[in-house]
Amino acid sequence: MAHAVKFHPSLSLLEQYTEGTLAAELSLVVAAHLDFCPHCQQLRHDIEADIGCQLAQQKAVNADGAEWQQMLQQILSPDASQVTAATTAPETFATHIEQGQHRIEIPRSLQRLAAKRKKWLQLGGIATAKLPSGDDNHLSLLLIESNTEVPLHTHKGLEITLVLAGEMVDEMGKYAAGDLIINTPDHTHTPKNISNEPCLCLSVLTAPLEFKQGLTRLLNPLQRFFY
Amino acid sequence: MLDRCGLTSHHAVEFPLQGSSMIVQQDPTPTVVLGQWEEALNVIAIHRDKQLYAELFKYFAPRLRAFGIKMFGNEQQAMEMVQDTMLNVWQKAALFDASRGCASTWIFTIARNVRFDMLRKKQSRKDDISADDLWSDGDYPEQEGSHSQQWDLYLIAEKIAPHFHALPPAQRLVMEKVYLDELSHQEVSEQLSIPLGTVKSRIRLALDRLREAIDGPRS
Repeated sequence: MAHAVKFHPSLSLLEQYTEGTLAAELSLVVAAHLDFCPHCQQLRHDIEADIGCQLAQQKAVNADGAEWQQMLQQILSPDASQVTAATTAPETFATHIEQGQHRIEIPRSLQRLAAKRKKWLQLGGIATAKLPSGDDNHLSLLLIESNTEVPLHTHKGLEITLVLAGEMVDEMGKYAAGDLIINTPDHTHTPKNISNEPCLCLSVLTAPLEFKQGLTRLLNPLQRFFY
Repeated sequence: MLDRCGLTSHHAVEFPLQGSSMIVQQDPTPTVVLGQWEEALNVIAIHRDKQLYAELFKYFAPRLRAFGIKMFGNEQQAMEMVQDTMLNVWQKAALFDASRGCASTWIFTIARNVRFDMLRKKQSRKDDISADDLWSDGDYPEQEGSHSQQWDLYLIAEKIAPHFHALPPAQRLVMEKVYLDELSHQEVSEQLSIPLGTVKSRIRLALDRLREAIDGPRS
């Protein structure tokens, strides 16, 4: 049965995403959330309608003059369509993520990038694979096996996690597919998968993780693993 | 007449949308108001009318330019964005769907996607996230049901789910086949080798049980 998403992006995050001003990696997390969340999809359409209206009401003089005329002629010339047709290359898509014995369906917005993922790195019950991203924000898939705890950590930057499949709990609550978890540098948290199914997440980190507790602090090279 | 797009529409027409569902009680029939540019896009799509497109271009191109200058802070890039956006409008006019929003909204979403991919190309991040990943139906490549209707169904499904599981197994099985697998009563009857009348009576019983579980017993 359908699950209603409980943890949503803030309205300002949705606005920046819809405008196209939010960083690409963060936008991707929001896009994947929308694949699960009709409520936020509706908000996105409302924001688009609002901006479209602003566009139409923009003060401007109607196009006249040689420069506009030239652009219009170029658009209407028959070669214009051939140019765009030639530049579209075939793309590959992955509808599922496969790791070990697991095969997990992923939302539409991740399917093209998932086909370009780097190889899985496995550590205990946790596996991670990077997705192509820019220099500032790191984007990766995180697979947490059932009954596995992610070591206690804080982060220097933002850590944004979207649950894609399965369930996860931390000190703040219980998360399922579509739920968005945003942790600021002030949060220290211990995400756990206490269910019987693996939990697949999409994660964006804006700075390296820093482990806090006992033995795990000695394992600090680990932070490269998560970053 | 209500003008959703904030534009003067000289020959707006109104028509009802198809909206039906067995479970959901619909609000009063939603209407789509077709304004000047919405109609123009439809005519451009069907007749490839260059003159009408030129009118649309004259209105939107300079407004996109003003918009682009705000976004890029740069006239040259703004003009590049305008040209690419207006080319898309000409080529993809057939994808415009007035029931999903105004012409200006559709044009904005194209401009946003064009701008995003332009910036990405300038940073030569070729393998990276593209506008198509982020805004799937920016120019409506796929058809889906109304989002709010989907949302209503989600909420109802959430509310019904626990009671659904509590149905007697025979009734639940029939309900799953009819409402989840969307089989006809006849198909269910054949699949389960039970008479058609039994399929119908199990559905009636199950619906009644669900209604009682949600609304409380009938007085």
